[in-house]
Order: sequence, then C-alpha cells, then structure tokens
Amino acid sequence: MTPPPAESVAAMIRPAPKPPDSKVNRDLLRVMDGAGPGYWLLLLIAAGSVGAAGAVWFYQVYKGLGIAGYAHPVFWGAYIVTFVFWVGIAHAGTLISAILFLFRAKWRNAINRSAEAMTVMAVLTAAQFLGIHVGRMWKSYFILPYPNQRGLWVNFKSPLLWDTVAISTYATISILFLFVGLIPDLAIARDRFSGWRKLLYTLLAGGWQGTSRQWKAHNRTVLHLSGLATPLVLSVHSVVSWDFAISIVPGWHATIFAPYFVAGAIFSGFAMVLTVMIPVRRIFGLEEYITDYHFENMSRFILLTSIIVGYAYLAEYYVAWYSGVEAEQSAFWLRAFGPYWISTWVMIIFNGVLPQLLWISKLRTNVPFLFVLSVLINIGMWFERYVIIIGGLSREYDPAVWGVYTPNAAELTIVAGSFGLFAMLFLIFIKLFPVIAISEIKELVIHEKTHGADH
Amino acid sequence: MPMLMAVFDQPDQIAEAVTRLKGRGYDDIETYAPAPFEAMEDAMDPKPSRVRLLTLIGGLVGVCTGYAMTIWMANDWPLMIGGKPFSSIPPYTIIAFELMILFGGVLTVLGLFGFGGIYPHKLDAVYDPRFSAEEFGLVIECRDRDVVEIEDLLRAHAAKEVNLVQA
Repeated sequence: MTPPPAESVAAMIRPAPKPPDSKVNRDLLRVMDGAGPGYWLLLLIAAGSVGAAGAVWFYQVYKGLGIAGYAHPVFWGAYIVTFVFWVGIAHAGTLISAILFLFRAKWRNAINRSAEAMTVMAVLTAAQFLGIHVGRMWKSYFILPYPNQRGLWVNFKSPLLWDTVAISTYATISILFLFVGLIPDLAIARDRFSGWRKLLYTLLAGGWQGTSRQWKAHNRTVLHLSGLATPLVLSVHSVVSWDFAISIVPGWHATIFAPYFVAGAIFSGFAMVLTVMIPVRRIFGLEEYITDYHFENMSRFILLTSIIVGYAYLAEYYVAWYSGVEAEQSAFWLRAFGPYWISTWVMIIFNGVLPQLLWISKLRTNVPFLFVLSVLINIGMWFERYVIIIGGLSREYDPAVWGVYTPNAAELTIVAGSFGLFAMLFLIFIKLFPVIAISEIKELVIHEKTHGADH
Repeated sequence: MPMLMAVFDQPDQIAEAVTRLKGRGYDDIETYAPAPFEAMEDAMDPKPSRVRLLTLIGGLVGVCTGYAMTIWMANDWPLMIGGKPFSSIPPYTIIAFELMILFGGVLTVLGLFGFGGIYPHKLDAVYDPRFSAEEFGLVIECRDRDVVEIEDLLRAHAAKEVNLVQA
C-alpha cells in the first residue's frame, strides 16, 4: 500500500475552517447549544405538570364542570382568574418591544426578545383557559361569527365578543412581532448551524441577507408594528377589564377598571420578565448583555406601576365609600375583612407595599432581592384577580344568595399546569431561538466600535 | 460584466462609498449589513419603504370591515331590546379598532415579505457568513474599464478587502 501524498494528509489533519464570526454571535448562540441534565429535568417537570393538567382537563370534559369547585353563586372561578393573570403577564413584552421602541429606549435591546417570547407564550397559555372554563368546550366556536343555517350571528354588544376579538388580535400581532424581530437572527443562526437546525432556520429566515432593501423594509415594519401594537396593548387589558366593568356586580362596576388593569398588567409583566430573566442570565452567563442597568430600569417600571396599582386600590375604596351605594360599600368591607381577607391583604402588601422598597437605589440592582420580589408580585397579582373576580361574585346584592368559593384540587392542578405550560414553551424557545436580539445588540456594538464608547 | 465585492468594518464608510459611487453614476450596487444603519440604507435609497402604504390600506380595510361586519350582523339577526336601534356604534368601535390593528399588522408583515423579498430562496452567490457576523459587504457591477477606478475608490473609503468575484 502506498502512503497518500503528503499534502492530502496535511489537509486531513488541518481543522476545517470555522465560519468567520463575532463575539456577540458566539456568546448569544451558545445559549442554544446542547442541553444539560438540569435543562431536561426542568423540561420534564414542566411537561409533567402540563400532562397532569391535561389529564384533569380530559376528566373535566368527560364528567362536566361539576368537578371544578364552583359553588353558587360563583361560576367564574380559578380558571378565569388565571386567564386574566396570563393575559396580564403578556403585556410587558409588547410594552418593552413596542412602546420602548417608539421612545427610542435602547436599553430594551437586551430584554425585548425574551419579553416578546414571553408575551406569545403567556397569550397561548391564557387562550387555553377560554376553552377550559366553558362547560361544553366542543361548542367554543359558537363565540366566532361564522355563517350558519340558523341565520344566527354573535352579539357584538357583549364584552365577551370584544374579548375574543382583542385576544385573538393580540395573539396574532405578538406572534408577528416576535417573528419579524427574529428574521435577521434566524439568518445568523442559519449561517452557523448544520443539520436539521440549518434547514429550519433556512426556511424561517426566508433568504434574509441584510441587504439595504431588506433592512429598510424591516425597519419600517418594526416601526409600524410598534405603532399598531402600542394602542393594542393598552386596549387588550382594557377590554379584559370591561368583561367585568360592564356588568353591575359590586366591586366590578367601576370606570377605573381599564387603566387599573393595564397598569396591573404591565406591573405583573415586568415582574415576570425579572422572574424569568434572572435565572436565564445566571445560567447562561449573559451578565455582559443583561446588566444591572437593565434591572434598575425594570425596577423603576415596577415601582411606577406599583404606585398606580396601589393608587387604584385606594381609589376603589374611596369611590365605594363616596358612592353611598350600600352593596358597593359592603363588597369592599367584606373584601378586607370578609372570608377572602387573606387574598386581599396578600394583594395589597405584595403589590402596593413591598415594591415601595425599590425607592432604595441599592435594592434596585440587588438581584436576589429583585428575584424574590418579582415572585411575590406574581403571587400578589394572581390574588388581585382572585379578589376582584371571586370577591365580587360571591357577595352580590342579595345576602340570601351569598356564598363562598374555594378552588379545589382539580382547578389548582390546571392552574399549576398553566405555569408548567408557560415554562415548557419558554424552555423550548431558548434552545431553538436566540433569547437576546443579536442583531439589535450588534447595532449597539458596531455603533460603539465606530464612535467610541460615549454612551 | 465584472463584479467587485468589498468588505468594510464600519457602516459610515460604506455609506460614504455608496454615496460617492452613486454620484459617479454607478447604480448597480448591493450592500449587506449585519444590523440596520440608517445612513447606509439612505445612501442606497433615500425613499421610505413602500411597506408603509400597506399598513395604511390594511388599517382602513380593517376599520371598514369591523363596522360593516358588526352593523350588518346586528341587522341580519335583530335583537329587539326596548325599541333601541339594532346596531350600536360605540361597542362596535372596539371591534373596528381591533380589526384595524389586526389587518394593518398582517398586511404590514406581508409587505415586509413582498417588498423585502423575504421568502425561502437561494442566497446570492456573493453572500458571505461574515455579513451576519460584524462585517459589511458592498457588491458592485461595472464595466471592465471602470474596475480600477472603483477599486481605488473603495479602498480610499477604508474597504479592508476588494475582490473581483466575476470577470
């Protein structure tokens, strides 16, 4: 056997040339590489809770809504509470990506992708409850205006119809927003991955090359989607609040509801961004990209919205007293000192009082403190919806029909499953797509390289 | 026709190079950038993207659809309540508003796909993964006798390499 020629041996030994790359690409694409046992364990726990919730839901479809803890007069229970909670969580993403984009707040670049992804996941999670909370879920499509033999149309004067239109618009626009922002990053991933991933990114990136025509259309699209999403984000939770405010239930029938709910939604959304991003930053070592400056800014937003929410809590009590309506007054008295007093004080302390600690500037960048606070805020915001919805329904005008509702194990399993679903979708997202908007970070990096670090 | 590909490090240099080349009448230019830089895109084409037209059309169609659908449906299946009119504009404004955003948003993104040429297709032969790292590319097609002049101009604007990719 003759040995192969020397130069072909050299070619075999020489490592294949790596595609040219930049530090930002390497740092941020690394997040998507391989998954350790910890990741699979988390994914397994999340998927397990989704599976448990799915089994309960299957049983509920089979047996009927009787398995939920509904008790006269409360027929909107933990499902609707959790629905409103997740729609609220969805709001920070659009706020960060659309409103802060219009205000040219460049610090959003590090967190907008994960916040947008959270928006999509939270809306998808919330949407599950629209199917779960109706008894005959196979008739859910009755809410859509579809042509039918009976010549019957839906009643667009009902807030439930506004809700359907608003939530489905919000889901569509937030998915488009996320996708449009992803396109340049998908091209980065396409140029650097191989195998099935390359195929996936090639299809999704749609031949993106960063030509000036593409960037021009892209910039314009992001600008216009931001312009459209800004009023949308304010309208969606307003519409959700009108589900309650349009009725005459004491504690629901208030004009303050729309701004109150929107502020609460942004408040809880920012808290959820912190809850998710603090571990992500730690695990993937993204301290260089998500800095204390970002946490400080988010803390300020949380402080601002906490003040608005706290003010709304007080204003509700004032208006109840000033209205002179006995039913309204007793509803608010029972809120604080009736059977749901724990939920009420959890909501007031976690949402209105504890975030005031953020006035202390050291705490705004204290990451462990922020993490604990954000979890408490999430709990507080779930209880806020619980207090409003259950508290209102269980104590209406006629004391003869008052009742007490407590969520039972079936409902709580499904509520826990919704957190599992959100976590599962997010875990899958961070391994499939860049969790930080790479091309937007690059815009800052290249700008800094060209003009020096003057910001 | 020969095709030259130059690689730059800074968006300002490539923007200046494009302005100079366009000033001399070389119009067959394409640029590749890893991130958006307004100066560079404006040098290539100062007109705003036509995507904005589609947002307007989508928004207007959405508003009209929202009102038309709700008013027509209310009259096709009348709910008679206390002698009030069948259709009522204030609640329908919410539907019209949401559909304005929905249609406007969807058409804007379709505009991005259409005007930006974003659909799965083969990449340009000169496209280089460096352009999705941190480098900028400029590709120009010109006549044989202009090659030297263009190369000098590109190098004068700090092009770090200039290649003849097609003779």
